[in-house]
Amino acid sequence: MGHRMAVPLLIRVAIGAALAIIQPTATPQAQAAGTLIWGMPSETDTMDPHATGGWTTYQITYQIFEGLAKEDLTKGDVPTPPLVPGLAASWEISPDGLQYTFKLRPGVTFHDGTPFDAAAVKFNFERFWDKSSPNYYPKAASFVVAYAKWIKGMEVLDPMTVRVILTAPNYEWLRQGLQSYGQPLMVSPAAVKAYGNEGIALHPIGTGPFRFVERQQGVRTVLERNPDYWGRKAQLDRVIFRPLQDPATRVNALSNGEVQMISTPPWDEIQGLVDDGFKLSTNPNVPYINYLYLNMKQDVFKDVRVRRAVNMAIDREGIAREIYRKTGRPEFGLLSPGTDAYDPGFRSYKYDPDAAKKLFAEAGYPNGFKVVFEIPQVGTGELVESWIQRDLKKVGIDVELRKFEWVTYMGRWAGGMGQDIGMNEIGWGMSTPAWINIVARCDTMAPDGQNSGYYCNKEVDALLSQALTTRDPAAAKALYQKANRIIMDDAAYVPIVDDLQPIMLSPKVHGFVNPPEDWFDLSTVSVD
Amino acid sequence: MRGFLLRRLAALVPVLIGVSVVIFLLMHLAPGDVTTTLLGPQATEADRVALRRTLGLDQPVPAQYARWVARIAEGDLGTSVATSRPVAALIVPRFLNTALLAAASLALAMAIGYGAGLLAALRPRSVLDRVLTGVTLLFGSTPPFWLGLVLVLFFALRLRWLPVSGMTDMAGEGGVLDVARHLVLPTVTTALGPAAIITRLVRSSVLEAIGRPHVRVARAKGLGRGALLRRHVILNALPPIMTITGLQLGYLLGGALFSEVVFAWPGLGSLLYDSITARDTPVVQATTLLIALLFVLVNVLVDLVNAALDPRLKES
Repeated sequence: MGHRMAVPLLIRVAIGAALAIIQPTATPQAQAAGTLIWGMPSETDTMDPHATGGWTTYQITYQIFEGLAKEDLTKGDVPTPPLVPGLAASWEISPDGLQYTFKLRPGVTFHDGTPFDAAAVKFNFERFWDKSSPNYYPKAASFVVAYAKWIKGMEVLDPMTVRVILTAPNYEWLRQGLQSYGQPLMVSPAAVKAYGNEGIALHPIGTGPFRFVERQQGVRTVLERNPDYWGRKAQLDRVIFRPLQDPATRVNALSNGEVQMISTPPWDEIQGLVDDGFKLSTNPNVPYINYLYLNMKQDVFKDVRVRRAVNMAIDREGIAREIYRKTGRPEFGLLSPGTDAYDPGFRSYKYDPDAAKKLFAEAGYPNGFKVVFEIPQVGTGELVESWIQRDLKKVGIDVELRKFEWVTYMGRWAGGMGQDIGMNEIGWGMSTPAWINIVARCDTMAPDGQNSGYYCNKEVDALLSQALTTRDPAAAKALYQKANRIIMDDAAYVPIVDDLQPIMLSPKVHGFVNPPEDWFDLSTVSVD
Repeated sequence: MRGFLLRRLAALVPVLIGVSVVIFLLMHLAPGDVTTTLLGPQATEADRVALRRTLGLDQPVPAQYARWVARIAEGDLGTSVATSRPVAALIVPRFLNTALLAAASLALAMAIGYGAGLLAALRPRSVLDRVLTGVTLLFGSTPPFWLGLVLVLFFALRLRWLPVSGMTDMAGEGGVLDVARHLVLPTVTTALGPAAIITRLVRSSVLEAIGRPHVRVARAKGLGRGALLRRHVILNALPPIMTITGLQLGYLLGGALFSEVVFAWPGLGSLLYDSITARDTPVVQATTLLIALLFVLVNVLVDLVNAALDPRLKES
C-alpha cells in the first residue's frame, strides 16, 4: 500500500515543482528601484580606459571615469557635444596654443577614497605618456597615442594646478582625448599600485557618477550610484550591462521585460517594437559614417573618373530608405554629422548610373571590370554590401565580396589593402573633424595609420594641419569643409550612410539622452 | 577490470596531446593578430613587436607549445590575453554552467529517448511506432537555434511562463527556483536533438535483441514479458545505447553553442566563441583541452559500464 501511494505522491511533488518553475512571469519582472538593465550586442573588453578602444566598453567606462575635460552628453539636440570642465574646474590655453594650464576641481575623491589632485593627474599622464617613468604602461601609451603624441611636457604647478606643454598647437587636442582609442581619463593611482596595470581592469576605480560593483565575464557588469559624486548625482541605484550577442535575443529580452534598453536593434524589428509601446531614441548627429576606401594603388582606381563613377553608381538614398528605414541617412562626405564642421547641405555625387557608365567608358572601361571588396563579418551588414554589389553590377563592375571575421579584418584593414583588393569598408568617425587626419593624410597611410586606401593629397594635408592650429572655431570649420570638398572631388572614398544610433527603451525608462557620441551619460536616467 | 581501466586511461594521453597540438597549430595558422585586439589599430609596429616579445609570441611555435605544456603540467592554465584574468577563473564558472545545462539536457534526452525508443520497439510498425519515430526524426532534424526561438516565442513571449535569456533574473533575488525557470527552455532546445538520436538507437537495439534466438527460446519457455525484457532484451541492447548516450553527453559538454547563444546561457561554448574571435589563445587552448578531456573521460566511463555489462568487451 505504502509503495503504491508513493508513486502518486512523487508525481504530485514533480508536478508541483514543475508548476512552481513554469509560473506565469510577472511582466515585466519586479525590480529593485531604479535599476537599468541594458542588453548590449557584445561583451566589453578591458575596463582600463587607458588601454581599450571599443565603443561598447566606453559605454561602461564613461560612467566610472572622468577626464580633465569632458563632453557633456546630457544634451541630444546639439550638433556636437559641448566640451565642459570635468575634473579640471577650468583651463587656460596660452596665446601660442602650446600650454594648457588646468585648475583642478577641489574636494573630489576616487571611489576608493584616494584624493584627486595634481599628483593623481601626474601619475595618470606618466602612465600613458612618460616612457621614463616607472608608472609607464606601454599598452596604455599605445591606445592613448592620438592624445599623448602631442605632449612635450607636463608639470605640477601646485597641488591643484597642472600644466601640459604640447609639441605644436592643436586646438582639437582636448576633444581628441575623448574619442575612441584610449582615453586619458583619471584612474585611481592607489588602485593601480594595489592591483597592478593589468589588475586595474578588474578593479576599475575612477571618480564618475557610478562605481564598479562586479563583473561576470559574459554574463553581466554591474555599477551602482556613487553617493559621493562631486556633480549631479545619478538617479539610478544600479546599472547592469548584459552582453546579448544574438539580435533576436536582445529584442526578446526587451519584449519580455528582462532588459529595459537595447542597443543595435535589428532594423526590421524597430517598427514592431515601437508598435508594441517601446520607445525609439535616435540622434541625427552621430559622430561616424559608413564608408568605403578605394585602393589608390590599384591601376583602375588611380583614375579619378573611375572613382567618381563608383560614387555615382551607388544609390545611397535607396540604402537609407529601403534598408535602414527611418534609422539611417545617406552621406556624401567624410565629415561625420557629429562634428561641428559637418555641412548637412553638402552633396558630392548623386545617384546617376548612366553618368557613371559614361565615365567608365571614358576611362577605358566600357565593359566594366572586376573588383574585390573586403568586408568584415559585422560591418554595414549583408543587405548593404549586397546592395552595393548589385548597384555596381548594374554599371558593369563585377564585385567579389570577401568577408572576414572581425579581428582578421581589422588586421587587413589597418595593414592597408593588398594589390589585389580594390575596396574595403569601415564604420568610423569621431566627434572631432580632426579625425580626418587619421584616415586621409599622406603620413597616415597604412600600415602606419588608418589610411587603408593610400590616398595622398598634399593640399588636403596642408589644410588639415592649418585647421589644427586655427584657434577660431569658425575658421577651422571652413578649413575642414574645404579639405572635405577636395577629398570628395578626388573621390578617394565612397561615403555611404550613417545610422541614427537607434536605441530601444522600455516605456519605464525616463531621462535617457541620445547624444552626438557613441556612448551615453546614464546619470540622467531613471526607471519606474 | 583494473588493467582495463589503466589501459583506457593510458590511451587518453596521446589523444590529449594530439588535440592540444592541433588546436595550438590552428590558432597560429589562423589569420589575425592578437596585438590588434590588445593594442588597437593605431599601435605602431614597434609597439606590436614589443608586445609579441612580452607575450612570448616571437618565439618559434614549438618553443611556445613546450612552454605551454610545461605550465599546464604545473597546473597553470595561464592568463587570458584579452581580459587579463587567470584562465582558470574564466573557465571554471563557465564549465559549471555548461555542466548544469548538459546534465539537465541529458536527463531529458534519456527520459525521452529511452521511453520513446522502448515503446516504439515493443510495437514495431504500429501507429505508435510511426508517430514516435516520425516526431523524434522531426525534432532531431530541427535546427536548434530555430527551435529555441520558436519555444521563446511561444512560452516566453506569448504565454509569459518562462524567461527569455540568461541564468537568473538580474533584477531579482536569484535562487535555485529562478535558475530552474531559466533552465527549462535551453534544456528542451538542447535535449531534443540528442533525444531523437537516442530514441532511434534504442528502438533498433531493442528490436535486434528481441529478435535474437535466446529471446525466442526464453519466450517459448514461458518467461513473463517483464522478466524477458529485463533479463534478456534490455541487458543485451544496453551497450550500444550506453555508447551513444555517452557520445551525446560529450557533445553537450562541448557546449551546445546554439542554445548558449539563443538563450544567452554563459557556458563554455560562448566562452570559446568569444576567445576565438579575440585570438585569446590561452583561453581557447584550455577550453578545448577541457572539452576534449571531458569527452574522452565520458567515453572511458561508458566503456567501463559496458565492460561491466558485457565481460567479453574487457577481453577485446
